[in-house]
Amino acid sequence: MISLLDQRKPQVHVTGAQPFAMACDKQSLAGSVSQRACVFCGSRVVLYPIVDAVHLVHGPIGCAAYTWDIRGALSSGPQLHRLSFSTDLQEKDVIYGGEKKLYQALVELIDEYQPKAAFVYSTCIVGLIGDDVQAICKRVAAEKNIPVLPVHSEGFKGTKKDGYRAACEAMFTLVGTADTLGIPRTSINILGDFNLAGETWILRRYYQEMGVDVVATITGDARIDDIRRAHGASLNVVQCSGSMTSLAQMMKEKYGIPFLKVSYFGLEDTAKALYDVAEYFPENPAILTRARTLVAREIAAALPALRHYRQALAGKRAALYTGGAFKAFSLVRALRTLGMTTVMAGSQTGNAQDYDHLRQICDDGTVLVDDTNPLELAKFIQEKQVDLFIGGVKERPIAFKLGVAFCDHNHERKIPLAGFEGMVHFAREVHDSVMSPVWQFTRRPAETIQPPALPGGTGIAALATEARP
Amino acid sequence: MRKVAIYGKGGIGKSTTTQNTVAALAEMGKKVMVVGCDPKADSTRLLLHGLAQKTVLDTLREEGEDVELDDIRKSGYGGSLCTESGGPEPGVGCAGRGIITSINLLEQLGAYAESNALDYVFYDVLGDVVCGGFAMPIREGKAQEIYIVCSGEMMAMYAANNICKGIVKFAEAGGVRLGGIICNSRKVDNEKEMIAEFAKRLGTQMIHFVPRDNDVQRAEIRKMTVIDWNPKCVQADEYRQLARSIDANEMFVVPKPMDIPQLEQLLLDFGVLEVAA
Repeated sequence: MISLLDQRKPQVHVTGAQPFAMACDKQSLAGSVSQRACVFCGSRVVLYPIVDAVHLVHGPIGCAAYTWDIRGALSSGPQLHRLSFSTDLQEKDVIYGGEKKLYQALVELIDEYQPKAAFVYSTCIVGLIGDDVQAICKRVAAEKNIPVLPVHSEGFKGTKKDGYRAACEAMFTLVGTADTLGIPRTSINILGDFNLAGETWILRRYYQEMGVDVVATITGDARIDDIRRAHGASLNVVQCSGSMTSLAQMMKEKYGIPFLKVSYFGLEDTAKALYDVAEYFPENPAILTRARTLVAREIAAALPALRHYRQALAGKRAALYTGGAFKAFSLVRALRTLGMTTVMAGSQTGNAQDYDHLRQICDDGTVLVDDTNPLELAKFIQEKQVDLFIGGVKERPIAFKLGVAFCDHNHERKIPLAGFEGMVHFAREVHDSVMSPVWQFTRRPAETIQPPALPGGTGIAALATEARP
Repeated sequence: MRKVAIYGKGGIGKSTTTQNTVAALAEMGKKVMVVGCDPKADSTRLLLHGLAQKTVLDTLREEGEDVELDDIRKSGYGGSLCTESGGPEPGVGCAGRGIITSINLLEQLGAYAESNALDYVFYDVLGDVVCGGFAMPIREGKAQEIYIVCSGEMMAMYAANNICKGIVKFAEAGGVRLGGIICNSRKVDNEKEMIAEFAKRLGTQMIHFVPRDNDVQRAEIRKMTVIDWNPKCVQADEYRQLARSIDANEMFVVPKPMDIPQLEQLLLDFGVLEVAA
């Protein structure tokens, strides 16, 4: 039996227990081995998919190496984003300052690759030695005549969420720097989709069919020139609330552009997203009509496959742990579509409002966790007798070590899970993992901690032959 | 080999006092190495008759890891060995890390090895102990005894008291001890008595009262220690006395830093408010 650290207890809640109170939105507890990444990593994953910019990590080599090609964000053109450049700060640079090296690296990279812009990420050590990154960026921007944007993402200065904010602040300096001529009123920006496995392209197709122009996709398959004119759109449609809400908020304040929070995971949420956008343009009712046609057609196409998977999956138990809480909401609903129940749900960056919503959509007895860690995940996976764990690259080994099926719903996914066809892919992924015959050779987690006290039981052999429900 | 670090408020005369004391020790026949731990690299100017030397960090930067001890350590007055850490220009990089790197390199190069037959190593460290790097000489047993240069001026005493707090911290782990307060006089009223009392309250001693004398300036402008410039002058004897006291010192303590009201009361007791008659 794994116990919780005392200071972690306020960040864990079992739904149905009264009163509802859940601590969140705070720095990780030291020593708890949080699943969260650092501030820098938060900035890096948000800006990574901008394909025609140089991304230069100002710091020791490890910061760049460990975030090299960190997500499967596809590009329809340049591949510059997939490279990881670093100033490779060493002892002498720490003592004498890294500004000269940064300047040289920037000039060299811009000459070599002719990017549309450059992002310079500050790492922990840069925050300590106090390099004036902003001044160097300003100087190179003037010399090379492209935007050179400092990202103030010193790893120690907060949580991953502060990294998202730093990334949004850097991008916000780009917005409004190009003219918006020719952008129609029926236009949106897609925020918070990162084109993993080509998901942004699916969304673009939907909006195109509805007759809505997409000005900028931030940051899936993004182009600097599009971000510069993003202030010409009438509406920001924000997915992944954790990372992009701050940019939407800033654009609302400065340019008066409203924003909608949506999700493209699951049939219901995708349909609702498209309808919400269509309803934002009431003067053009054809958009809503086309959205209805699209949704009806796509759902009809998806249902037969989903019914098939549902038959096998009905009654299975799932645990999920996501970056932003919005994705967790969608997954709870998507799993319900497949007849599965969510027995544990959590996120790295959810806020009080998010958890209150999550509590409402989950069945009683569901464990909610904020900013959890491997031990807690292992605990609940075992105690809740989970059949499927949904998470990212850091969660995968936890599931496999415990002999539990896993679905990657994060950076490394190779098949698109967004939109209507994404739901079918998701169902197939879940089905293939949960129903894999391999699990009959592993012991169920609950059994490993509570061996059944059967008279004359034959230990491991008996456990291994026991059929899974 | 005795390992000594000199601390004190910026501008109090640490480098001048250190070098004049080292000159006196050298005159006594002691083998002494001075390690300057200040990016300005002016801790050995009087012993070397100028700032001719290349610093450890500049050499490391320009010539890479292939550094020879002779490149960064020069012979000065009376056979003293002089080396300067060096470091970045003001406002860039991390001078504290520079000191750590430089002391590590000196160790690697065998600067402290038995074969050097050193009687003393003196670390001359800049100003207050502003960050971990500047505490390097008192960490890990590098320096075992500390002398704080102080005067009767309030801010110098504040700084000395603060440095004592640092020593307490490292005394627990590394075994460093306070050897005494060197009063470098600024001609404050009742200075000698006040600093003697201050030292006593800290649990230590005023190891010497160095009177103010313009001969120090006269020697300094010639890039020399007082003993080097005019071995017969009165001030030379003051430094000889300080050197003898340090050489004979057996009082090594973990200091008891004062709280600020206590310190201020001490200043009042010794008459800082009194108008000169």
